[in-house]
Amino acid sequence: MGEIVRVENLSFRYPEAAKFAVRDFELTIKGGEIVMLAGPSGCGKSTLLRTVNGLIPHMYTGEYLGSVSVGDHKVSEARMSELAQTVGLLFQNPENQIFMFSVERDIAFGLENLAVPPDEIRARVDEAMRQLGITDLAQRAPHELSDGQKQRVALAGVIVMRPRLIILDEPTSLLDPKTAVELVELVRRLRDETGITFLIVEHRLELLVRIADRLVVMSEGKKVLDGRPEEILADERAEAYGISIPPVSRLRNQLKRDGLPLENGFGPDELAEELNRQALKR
Amino acid sequence: MYWVAGGFIFRRVGSPFHSLDPRVKLLISAELFVVSLTAYSVTQLAVVMGVMLCIAAVAKILKRVGRTLVFSAGFSVFIFVINLFARQSLLTSAIYSVRFLAIIISTSLFFITTSPDELEQVMKSAHLPRDVVFAFTTAVRFIPVLMLDAIQIVDAQKSRGLEVEKGNLIKRVRKMVPVLIPLVVNSVIRSGELAEAMESRAYGAVPRPTSLNRYSSSKRDKLVAAGSLILFIITVYIYVRFPTPL
Repeated sequence: MGEIVRVENLSFRYPEAAKFAVRDFELTIKGGEIVMLAGPSGCGKSTLLRTVNGLIPHMYTGEYLGSVSVGDHKVSEARMSELAQTVGLLFQNPENQIFMFSVERDIAFGLENLAVPPDEIRARVDEAMRQLGITDLAQRAPHELSDGQKQRVALAGVIVMRPRLIILDEPTSLLDPKTAVELVELVRRLRDETGITFLIVEHRLELLVRIADRLVVMSEGKKVLDGRPEEILADERAEAYGISIPPVSRLRNQLKRDGLPLENGFGPDELAEELNRQALKR
Repeated sequence: MYWVAGGFIFRRVGSPFHSLDPRVKLLISAELFVVSLTAYSVTQLAVVMGVMLCIAAVAKILKRVGRTLVFSAGFSVFIFVINLFARQSLLTSAIYSVRFLAIIISTSLFFITTSPDELEQVMKSAHLPRDVVFAFTTAVRFIPVLMLDAIQIVDAQKSRGLEVEKGNLIKRVRKMVPVLIPLVVNSVIRSGELAEAMESRAYGAVPRPTSLNRYSSSKRDKLVAAGSLILFIITVYIYVRFPTPL
């Protein structure tokens, strides 16, 4: 698949701010990729996400240099309604992006705003609910849903717009471990079934590195590392940039430093298997 | 307090009244409102109250209407006392206070049986501006969220030693400041995120958005609307034709 996101030499500073939140940023994302964006709090991740979906510069003004293109649109020149059909954004707290009093009405919200004919809205809402396994929640009110269900409803409201790129801003931060794992599996399934590209900001790296194709690390508004997740987690500089390396990756890195010839991987099972192999060889 | 407040909140119930077109429910509620407001005798008020309680029974909301009455009883007594002080007769004061209760029931019949989504449809069919309708539905949607926020903030402040229930009225009001400030700050932050989410979902892209649900009146809705209109006209005729108390 071709390129879907191109960020060229992007810098952005909020009004009255002393420093640029994002500086000289370059990024390209290919269609169908799952790209993780990591970095310490305040490093500019959320600002970058908002430049990709158009909230910057359309909603937030400031000093905007460089350019961002998504699909066929140059973000600074396209209208928000055009961008809404290309880029979907799932916020950290799904509660704040559910507007309507029933699940199916909320999922339909974006399509209603684009004046899509009611019959088509019905078909697309039903399809989105089926894809996310929430058909039985159609008539429920938002306050009757669990956090995990709200997350799915909010995601259905994004997917129903049939975007080419979905941005997830710390999607697991309010979820318990089991629901978080389910969400990660859902993202993988959606990518495999629909070919949608994902750009995900997440602190809990151990959850998402398994499905990510790339891990991009930001520090002080700049891109400092970009590569396959296993390579980045094995890179000694990652921790210095404020990335919390998952314990298993940390152990793997230590064992490698101690001279064990291990390959790059993520999970405890993989590591145990490799260690067993090494022990048998010896 | 929550028990009383619950009397005003919509809950999905399968009843013949709930399933009516929301515009028909609004029509019936408006007719009952006018009939209650203009009733001038005990007999008339008793009949209107009886009709409304029958509707409440059909709609399976008698208990919830009861809660509404409990909530309104204080105001009703206040109206009674004020009228006595204004040198109205005992009967007139009683009529005014019961009329107030009848008006409350007539409006709550609509709000208890109509979901916010249906309310939105009614507002849309009245051709109210899109922004007004959206502001209304969003406000209703976030009532439970703000209530939960408030409970959490009160619990958090209590755990830090704030004694909300102690002291006289002025002290209690002062003690609400550490609850209200975080609640307002939370709400401002929330409204910022809501605005971002609205933009991200193409709010305002077209002047005339479409709607997933299209409400169309069935034969039953039309019959009920016509029947209620006929009864309303007969009642108004009786009010005008027999102006003295029955």
